[in-house]
Amino acid sequence: MGRAVGIDLGTSTSCVACVIDGKPQAIPGPDEKPIQASVVSFLPDGGRVVGNEAKRMMIENAESTIYSAKRLIGRKFFSPEVKKAQAVCSYKIVEGSNQSVRIRIRERDYSVPEISAMVLMEMKKIAENYLGEEVDKAVITVPASFNDGQRQATKDAGTIAGLNVLRIINEPTASSLAYGYGKGLSQKIAVYDLGGGTFDISILEIGEDVFEVISTAGDSYLGGDDFDDRLIDYFAERFMRDFDIDIRTDRKALQKLKNAAEQAKIELSEKLETQISIPKIMETMEGAKDLDYTINRNYFGQMVMDLIQRTFKVCDEALQNAHLTIEDINALILVGGPTKSPIVQDAVKNYFFKDPQANIDPELVVAIGAAIQAASLTERRPGALLLDVTPLSLGIATAGGLMDVLIERNTPIPTESSRIFTTTHDNQTAVRIKIYQGESKFYEKNELLGEFRLAEIPPMPKGEPKIEVTFEIDANGIVNVTARDKDTGKAQSVQLTVSGGLSHEEIERFKKEHAGAGKEEVKAYKPKAELPDR
Amino acid sequence: MLDEEFKRQILTLYKIIDELDYYQILKVDQMAFDEDIKTAYFEESRLYHPDKFYTEPPDIQERVTKIFKRVCEAYKALSNQEKRALYTKLINGPERQKYLRFDLRLLKEEEEKKEDEGSTPLAKKYYKMAKTAFQNKDYKAAKVNLQLALKLEPNNQTFQDKLKEVEDILARRKGL
Repeated sequence: MGRAVGIDLGTSTSCVACVIDGKPQAIPGPDEKPIQASVVSFLPDGGRVVGNEAKRMMIENAESTIYSAKRLIGRKFFSPEVKKAQAVCSYKIVEGSNQSVRIRIRERDYSVPEISAMVLMEMKKIAENYLGEEVDKAVITVPASFNDGQRQATKDAGTIAGLNVLRIINEPTASSLAYGYGKGLSQKIAVYDLGGGTFDISILEIGEDVFEVISTAGDSYLGGDDFDDRLIDYFAERFMRDFDIDIRTDRKALQKLKNAAEQAKIELSEKLETQISIPKIMETMEGAKDLDYTINRNYFGQMVMDLIQRTFKVCDEALQNAHLTIEDINALILVGGPTKSPIVQDAVKNYFFKDPQANIDPELVVAIGAAIQAASLTERRPGALLLDVTPLSLGIATAGGLMDVLIERNTPIPTESSRIFTTTHDNQTAVRIKIYQGESKFYEKNELLGEFRLAEIPPMPKGEPKIEVTFEIDANGIVNVTARDKDTGKAQSVQLTVSGGLSHEEIERFKKEHAGAGKEEVKAYKPKAELPDR
Repeated sequence: MLDEEFKRQILTLYKIIDELDYYQILKVDQMAFDEDIKTAYFEESRLYHPDKFYTEPPDIQERVTKIFKRVCEAYKALSNQEKRALYTKLINGPERQKYLRFDLRLLKEEEEKKEDEGSTPLAKKYYKMAKTAFQNKDYKAAKVNLQLALKLEPNNQTFQDKLKEVEDILARRKGL
């Protein structure tokens, strides 16, 4: 039997952690760094590299280097987020079957869970090399605001990577575990989690070994990447004023600017002013031009203040749903790379009237919490019990356009709710029902999870069949639908089509395909680590 | 391994849980304070949280999951004032068995019971016509009738709420 680890599968970076001799710790990769870029680069010779090494190939191998796959996972091809990614990403995004998203690399189409599986395989490999043992089980984290489709797709990625996914847990919940595990606390805490692509706030109550999520709220369209975008636009505009040419029209130049902007943002956490310089970034009528500007922290702060204010609106909502005020909060925990910025820290401190917990690394805390949960589940002596909630209301479409809510948001999970369905005309043998997640009272404004079909209903006069359908949200936050005949108690066939998702057959096929590739890579891995850093 | 006594306890609870009300599931009194309900929720979680049984055989896992789901459901209903009041009233009434599990639709029904159909004959008539139009999805006609009803009884809360709902639907249709 292999070891169980915790994996923080992030938009821009990922991290793997394990409880070793009773102590949870983040595991360093081949470059000694525990934080690895969530980047996969496909090489012309058919091989691939993953992690920080792959990130360095983003310029030279732009079309075959995949980053920010998490922004696409579990989303439908026609969603606004996918449209946005299509416009800005250097790789090609195409439509697959069942409204799904595929990424085209060197004439081959990959599903998003496959790409995420490659990142997970790299994390698995890092842990195996460090522990000197097989790793076959994992707890994987997702943003609290992830819907059913996104959770299911993340779980599928784990399966494809050859991992038994013990549990999908929410990033803020994992963080609270890393903070409060084994301390016997009795506190109400706020976890402010600003990642690369998403923002989550969770309010929890810790009662010694019990971690109860009272409420959670988030914005899955807001993250540190948006801060980078502001910087990119700012420098591009300045460059345009000076040289009358737009960097954003040249993918290679834009990628260079992206890297430099990200670097500048990180430097502004340490310094009050920083310089950004890229020699010969663009060709103009008068020859190649250099980009060379300085920016100070204050100005950057003004540029992103509206984004930070947006997170506070979400915090207000979470506190209100928890029926608490800021004064009730005993401790504040910051999670995610962007919270390392003093601009964010000062604003959050002002909002909560409180200093964040020191001694917590915002970039490692999620993986560490996941590792604690993994150990807790496998070691037969659970030291912590998570009482989490569903972040979104679940409901079905009704006539008139309204959503009939079956399970409200912030309901503790696992949970279930049943409804009786019947037929509307004589001898009808099938009924279709659409399931949605979201807070709008109109179902069309919410996210369609899928459609299920009650089939093989015995022919009867209309209104006679009584089919009890049970909607379950399991501990992973994933929706399951079962049905039975209310009178006979017999199971009723349900065919569920999840929009944008993978079928069981696809998952199994990808798992086999990638398992082969993974093994070879493990063999080739050791010598590769000795290659000089380029 | 679990001791036999606890296994028997799980089996018994699993079998009778459909007969229990939320207070019985959380083992609290109907007069309990909010804090007691939370304490009970934590205590029951310590006993039946499925994570504690992760390595146990599937039949035990299935039983504790059913129990724990009901514990969560009980807490969700009893930790909200409005739901708790309605639930308590229903389980102490003649149809106790029917209402052991809380259904969100009950809140809506309760709201509809509070419906104020108007006090003047003419407003009553307009409201009735608005409701018929609403059912027929003729939202424009519903809006006009509600506006007329409100001219006669400007302070009627039901009329106001219904008009807001109709306006929302119309605004959304425009947006599509």
